[in-house]
Amino acid sequence: MQVALKIWRYDSSTGERALKEYEVDAPEEATLLDCLDLIKDRYDGTLAYRKSCRMMICGSCGMRMDGAAVLACKTRMYEIAQAGRVPVISAMGNLPVVKDLVVDMQPFWDKFRAIKPYLEPGYEQPEDGREYRISQEQMNVIHKESLCINCGCCVSECNAMESNPEFLGPQALAKGMRFVGDPRDAATVERLEAYNSEHGIWECTRCYFCNERCPKGVDPRDAIAKLGAESVRLGIDRDMGARHAKWFIRSAETTGWLRETELVPKTQGVVASIKQMRFALSLARHGKVPPPFPPHVAKDVREARNLRKLVRMQDRQGALGHVQGERALERLAHGHAGETLEEIYARPGAAPRPYLPGDETEGAA
Amino acid sequence: MIAKHDVLVVGAGCAGMRAAIEAHDAGADVAMISKLHPTRSHSGAAEGGINAALGNAAEDSPEIHAFDTVKGSDYLGDQDSIEIFCAEAPGDIIQLEHWGAVFSRRADGKLAQRPFGAAGSPRTVYAADITGHVLIQVLWEQVCKREITVYEEFFAWQLVVNDGRCQGVICWDLLRGGLKTLGGKTIVMATGGAGRQYRATTNAYACTGDGMAMALHAGLPLKDMEFMQFHPTTLYPSGVLITEGCRGEGGYLINKDGERFMKRYAPNALELASRDVVSRSEQTEIDEGRGVNGSVFLDLRHLGAERILERLPGSRELAMTFAGVDPIYDPIPVRPGAHYHMGGIATDSDGATELDGLYAAGECACVSIHGANRLGGNSLMETITFGRRAGRAAAEWALSHTTVEVPESAERDAERELRELLSREEGERPWKLREELGQSMLENFGVFRREEGMARQIEIIQGLRERYRNVYVEDKGHVFNSDLTQAIELGNMLDTALCMVTAGLARKESRGAHSRPYDYPNRDDENFLHHSITRWRDGEVELSTAPVRMTKWEPQERKY
Repeated sequence: MQVALKIWRYDSSTGERALKEYEVDAPEEATLLDCLDLIKDRYDGTLAYRKSCRMMICGSCGMRMDGAAVLACKTRMYEIAQAGRVPVISAMGNLPVVKDLVVDMQPFWDKFRAIKPYLEPGYEQPEDGREYRISQEQMNVIHKESLCINCGCCVSECNAMESNPEFLGPQALAKGMRFVGDPRDAATVERLEAYNSEHGIWECTRCYFCNERCPKGVDPRDAIAKLGAESVRLGIDRDMGARHAKWFIRSAETTGWLRETELVPKTQGVVASIKQMRFALSLARHGKVPPPFPPHVAKDVREARNLRKLVRMQDRQGALGHVQGERALERLAHGHAGETLEEIYARPGAAPRPYLPGDETEGAA
Repeated sequence: MIAKHDVLVVGAGCAGMRAAIEAHDAGADVAMISKLHPTRSHSGAAEGGINAALGNAAEDSPEIHAFDTVKGSDYLGDQDSIEIFCAEAPGDIIQLEHWGAVFSRRADGKLAQRPFGAAGSPRTVYAADITGHVLIQVLWEQVCKREITVYEEFFAWQLVVNDGRCQGVICWDLLRGGLKTLGGKTIVMATGGAGRQYRATTNAYACTGDGMAMALHAGLPLKDMEFMQFHPTTLYPSGVLITEGCRGEGGYLINKDGERFMKRYAPNALELASRDVVSRSEQTEIDEGRGVNGSVFLDLRHLGAERILERLPGSRELAMTFAGVDPIYDPIPVRPGAHYHMGGIATDSDGATELDGLYAAGECACVSIHGANRLGGNSLMETITFGRRAGRAAAEWALSHTTVEVPESAERDAERELRELLSREEGERPWKLREELGQSMLENFGVFRREEGMARQIEIIQGLRERYRNVYVEDKGHVFNSDLTQAIELGNMLDTALCMVTAGLARKESRGAHSRPYDYPNRDDENFLHHSITRWRDGEVELSTAPVRMTKWEPQERKY
């Protein structure tokens, strides 16, 4: 098939930038990475990009296609070529470009190192000198976070990082959750204190681009939410973000709806609120603030309270609440309809039923 | 020389990082060199698991593990090394777990273990089907914790041998450009395999045998190079690995009629026979017309969605992405593909080579515990156990020696060689040679080998080496010049391939992965129970032999 690509070329030694178009003849199963290889071999040996495993595990080939981060090795080109589209390929965002599609990963790794990315072993090593005894259910808490391949796609797309490059970012924080959720780690409180500080979890804008673009299903935003939930559960809630979140719950629990007038003082404190009095009065003049007294109580407030009670009863507070919800959703996402094996063997066009030679009458062995 | 260290580790996969951690903990000043970033190393693509006789799932012992490994090696493994390996593996696994490795668990909270090919007991510890990834991550975490220096995206090119010792590595700095020399009192090679010599391979683009070629060019012997393992289940058409864990979990291999053909080749072990046996059986089915598109099928349907989603999610993702097949509903098309180099730089059980100051571990080394055929799950374990041992030995040697000297002439010679390559303004582009090598190796030095095919392959490689003198690097720049490094990699692959085929032609028997059904279908212990040794002499391969170190297992007929 003919595949056409436009590639943003960049030469850091001269500062020159140019959008160049290439067309290659590629096999139908070709990925974006295969097409880049063809271009480099046959047309332009100076094209620079990273690659290694070509099986979605090494994390080398993160780049942008039409402005969204992808792994080049995971991106099949057949449908794009059939549709006659000419995608634009460029380097990842939020990281300095070195050459063509190669970015400088140093800022990425600096943040990775900043979150103390290693286990701080628990106080009690197993007495028999063997492994820690931990159930699979306990390990499942960090299942998604441990899938991360450090490719940088989430960082590339992070809106909070774009406005504040100091933000620790989705990758580092997901790695943080990998340790906070690990029962063998003894530094949960220290970690959460650190991740709650400036440029930590509460700087995330919840745009969900990281979840959207992660090629491995790590869902970094969910990891950040889990860190927030764990922080609040353990009383690490001095940050405005935590206070903001807590007030949401309190407000919903008491009156069944969000009391915005109280949100500012509860989040930012009384002093900061007084400083914003002029702004608040102006809002009120334009009818943007409902009168705070008497508080309006929603008709079905009991239901909100019961929901909250249910969460408490099931002990699904903190990170655990998220995990259980996710696992249920995961099952739905797999699209498995629960067919029996017989039904699967009988599907139209199914491959023949397996049998052992000399045992044909028995069917599947 | 831009910097000096006590211990320089070349390569930062599992073996390299484990060696660096151990050398650091022994008190040495350590640095690692990688042409990638450590977590991009191909160890991370290992899927199925890592073998240690923990006995969590069934009764097991290091002795049983050792016997399985000796038998699997077709009696070519060095038995003293195998005994050390199997005895120390359980402790190494526990240490990885204490460092935080996210392994899969049993209901009682202990580490889960699954059955693997040719293993007498379920002893493969695993993390779903991303075991290598989990290990790479935990080792990288420990490297970060110790703040070990990493020269990232430094392409190691030549070893500096001075005063009878290995004392440095000359590298090309990919990000900034230029040759940079690093000095080390000891050097540990941990550069991995060379599977890219073959068109159909599970290996990453980075697996080009650089370390083996560097050692070869520095005068060191490469051992048992003819033994290239073909993995039975590589995905058609892309060649990526589908783990042996699929069969460990109970997957079937079927031909186009649905017949579980392994019954005819390995009536007892069936799909869980050793890899060389399964690959040969598949190739026979394909050659005799019972395959589809040069592939047979790995059928997981009967395992059910639950088990596939929990234990084999990565394999499902690979099959869906690269072959458009959901293994819950359809069998996966698979074929044998080049996977693992049993041979490599000859070392003793401490990773020491015959050159003072040079050590090797992992796939680039040949200790040898794999002999003529490696068991699944033994290679990850080898990277850890022998990475650790090599790191310890290298640190101890380094701490008892003081000087590091790299003669300027070595750097000058390298500069000249590089200028010559870069200044060539016309010639052949490397990709053509690379494709011809990959295709011809598969045809003439694949699962089955013929005398005339191997003889022809030597001529082909010699022809390619001749043409290689005239290859042309198009990128003349200094920043991320992967055109240059790919040209150097091609040279490395050609020279190591020559060693492989030369050793293969001389081995007139069938043993493990070296199979000659048409002229020498049987193992010949009388004449060939020895290691093949290849050395570089004046730009050509010199072949000799070395004895196999035996302890308590006499060669027996090998049946599964």
